[in-house]
Amino acid sequence: MVKAVPNTLRVFASLFVALTLVFILAPLVVVAGVSVSESQFIAFPPSGFSLRWFAAIFDSNAYVQALITSLKLATLVTVTATIVGAGAAIALHRRRLPGTSLLAGLFLSPLILPSIIFAIGLLMLWSATIGPVSFWALWIGHMVIALPYVIRTTLAVLADSDPFLEEAARTMGASRWQRILYVVLPQCVPGLAAGAFFAFNISFDEAVVALFLRTPDLVTLPIQIYNQLEFSPDPTVAAVSTLMMGLTVFLIATLDRFLGIQRFVGT
Amino acid sequence: MRDRVEDLALAGPGILLLALAFVLPIAEMLGLSILGTHRELTLEHFIRFLSDPYYLGIVWRTIYLSLLITAICAAIGFPLAYVMARIRPALRLWLIVLIILPLMTSVVVRTFGWMVLLGRGGLIPFTLWKLGFVGRNFTLMHTEAAIVIGMVQVLLPFTTLSILGVVMKIDRRLEEASRTMGAGFFATLRIVILPLAMPGILAGSLLAFTLSVSSFVTPSLLGGVRLPVVAASIYDAATKTLEWNFAAAQSVILLVGVLLALTPYIKLSGRRHG
Amino acid sequence: MATLELNQIVKSFGSVDVLHGISLSIESGQFVSLLGPSGCGKTTLLRIIAGLEAVTRGTLRIAGRDVTDVAPENRDIAMMFQSYALLPHMSVRENVRFPLRMRNRGTRKEQDERVQATLETVQLGHLADRMPRQLSGGQQQRVALARAIVSDPKILLLDEPLSNLDARLREDMQVELIELHRRLGLTTVFVTHDQEEALSLSDTVVLMNAGRIEQVGGPQEIYASPRTGFTSEFIGSANLIPVRVEETAAGPRATLPWGEVIAVAPGSKPSHKASLVLRQEDMKLLPSQTIIPNGFRATVETRVFLGARIRYVLRLGDMRIKCLAPGTDIFGPGDAVVVSVPDSRAQIIEA
Repeated sequence: MVKAVPNTLRVFASLFVALTLVFILAPLVVVAGVSVSESQFIAFPPSGFSLRWFAAIFDSNAYVQALITSLKLATLVTVTATIVGAGAAIALHRRRLPGTSLLAGLFLSPLILPSIIFAIGLLMLWSATIGPVSFWALWIGHMVIALPYVIRTTLAVLADSDPFLEEAARTMGASRWQRILYVVLPQCVPGLAAGAFFAFNISFDEAVVALFLRTPDLVTLPIQIYNQLEFSPDPTVAAVSTLMMGLTVFLIATLDRFLGIQRFVGT
Repeated sequence: MRDRVEDLALAGPGILLLALAFVLPIAEMLGLSILGTHRELTLEHFIRFLSDPYYLGIVWRTIYLSLLITAICAAIGFPLAYVMARIRPALRLWLIVLIILPLMTSVVVRTFGWMVLLGRGGLIPFTLWKLGFVGRNFTLMHTEAAIVIGMVQVLLPFTTLSILGVVMKIDRRLEEASRTMGAGFFATLRIVILPLAMPGILAGSLLAFTLSVSSFVTPSLLGGVRLPVVAASIYDAATKTLEWNFAAAQSVILLVGVLLALTPYIKLSGRRHG
Repeated sequence: MATLELNQIVKSFGSVDVLHGISLSIESGQFVSLLGPSGCGKTTLLRIIAGLEAVTRGTLRIAGRDVTDVAPENRDIAMMFQSYALLPHMSVRENVRFPLRMRNRGTRKEQDERVQATLETVQLGHLADRMPRQLSGGQQQRVALARAIVSDPKILLLDEPLSNLDARLREDMQVELIELHRRLGLTTVFVTHDQEEALSLSDTVVLMNAGRIEQVGGPQEIYASPRTGFTSEFIGSANLIPVRVEETAAGPRATLPWGEVIAVAPGSKPSHKASLVLRQEDMKLLPSQTIIPNGFRATVETRVFLGARIRYVLRLGDMRIKCLAPGTDIFGPGDAVVVSVPDSRAQIIEA
């Protein structure tokens, strides 16, 4: 049999993919490695095995506070962004509002416009109109970043649904609210669930808006890590980072388990 | 009419949020950038930034590092995306998940990983020293090389997925047709695949460039204070020296640069999504 | 069950008129087909009857009540969609119960009984707890049908409901639709582009073209006496030949473009600009020496074997016509033939 791709090339391609994966995953593996090291210095490969740095997290008030802040923030952002995003996605999907495509562009623009630009604007606007930045400023900021993800995943599942469901419901006597409640929202559920996963993950991991809007009392987990990295990193940072990675892996696995990740990765 | 009222009510909270927390902040920033100390209109902040060799140096560093990072991402991303598009779907899904995993991990965590790998006694300098490429144990931290390595890892997933989306849509039979017409594997790759993948490569590169010029966490931590980029300069002005108008002016300059890169990106990706 | 009256319905999308003043009166219990090529406005008209599309001008009455401005949910109609539009997150039972639930018909128990009875009617009683995606296309189609009849609507609207089925299922469903209609007597409006389907199912066929009604009549009438060139071409894809018609002592005669004269249907009016309608299956091909009572000469140009029948393309002068013959007549390209046409089948329409 003639092979379309020469064997040497196959070997070379496999090697290339493997090396690229090593490169992409290296920093994650290293952080996980450091977190279980016995040594009190940050070193890779790790020496020995110990979970004491994970225990150390919970002895540190700063980390515990940051963890609580981040969990509170991410949960609130997830709930609100999902609700707001659901409404926006349904309206965009129906294409009945004038300027729908313009509106869609506006809703998705936080995805591509670098967050540093809007973060600094938010800091200035909040300070000028409301006063010192607070948890609520951070909540608003993360909503803006998380919203496009919810809208995008929800629009994707709505695009796959039967376009005549709503009309069919009308001919069967369903009123406006009944159509939203019994027909449209149930169609949105997989997209909203995926969007909620993304929203939580983004809010929990985000470092730029949180950095601009931080105050001594308002430090999220990524910012706490950032602070430690700027000054005196010890393996506790690695342990916290590993926890965060664990959460991400858990979220991806859950997303895949319940919804199938293929639907939301764009290919 | 009532349909519109209903849809407006549905989209209303989102529109309100974006208007107040996205559009207005950017407008506020634009406004502040042209206000002087006594709230008079002035271009002094722009003049200050664009006439100071120190800041121009920062701009230049930001741009050429971003170009370099973007080029490397495209150079790795295209073959990677091509291979991914041509392997078994199950394997492809695994690769996608492995590429998304770092994408969904906090950039702070990933940068920390590079600090460990690149620092004094870190795996990479240590290996280079043991292999005899360098004379002594040294640190790669606080070098432009460190910034490039870290940023390529951050942005490669974006570029790869962007190119993959386009390559997946290329009809495989085009390649087969090309082979039956006498073109070899590499000739086909160059004459058939590359031109067809170009919109994806360009879109992915423009996205990577935008994210690169505006990135803050990775360059700051890996480059250190002696190698500031534009975003770091904005951050310092906004939170350390508290020169908000100056910070706003720098943000406007960054925004203009980003929009210049995004305009063709939107056209490219818009055409792709039809 | 109710009457349906359309009065001068006009529909424009922007500056484009898609319906130019449609007037139609449908009696209670009739099965009416809206037939026409794609883009003729038949689906738009159905959606207007459903209320899913607003009219630009004109009025619409269901059971005597003006419903022109009534929302679809309040029209007491039922519609079956081409894609079936089953709610994917609800079981078969819940889908069929949906119209009763939305309209608050009876108690929960009464609804359940009604749903079960309706599902039995379409032979799906045993699948009531399945989800739509677990059903075959034909079963989904029955669920959609059950859902459309469960609420005993005043008007039943069907939008090409059979077009997603394969040929055999389609024939079965046609029979079932006829029986169901006979049993329930629902006033039914059925959209299709398939003329055979329209002729076999309906009491009345409304043939539409370019936003206008071309002809309304019973299936026999539409088939046998097309009044326009469009009707004759669309129903049975007839040949149209420009002719001059004169009255003679022996009856009306038409002069064909190449000079031959044939007898045409009695009662045809003399005209200088008329068209002779020749249905493909009404012509008979015979060897060229055969003496025939009425017909003309032609040459076989192409032969297409279709199984039970053969389609010939014939050349007459500089015209071509198509002809369907039983599969046993064998003529080859270039053969001279005579084409026999009974004068009653040679219809004349005004050009």
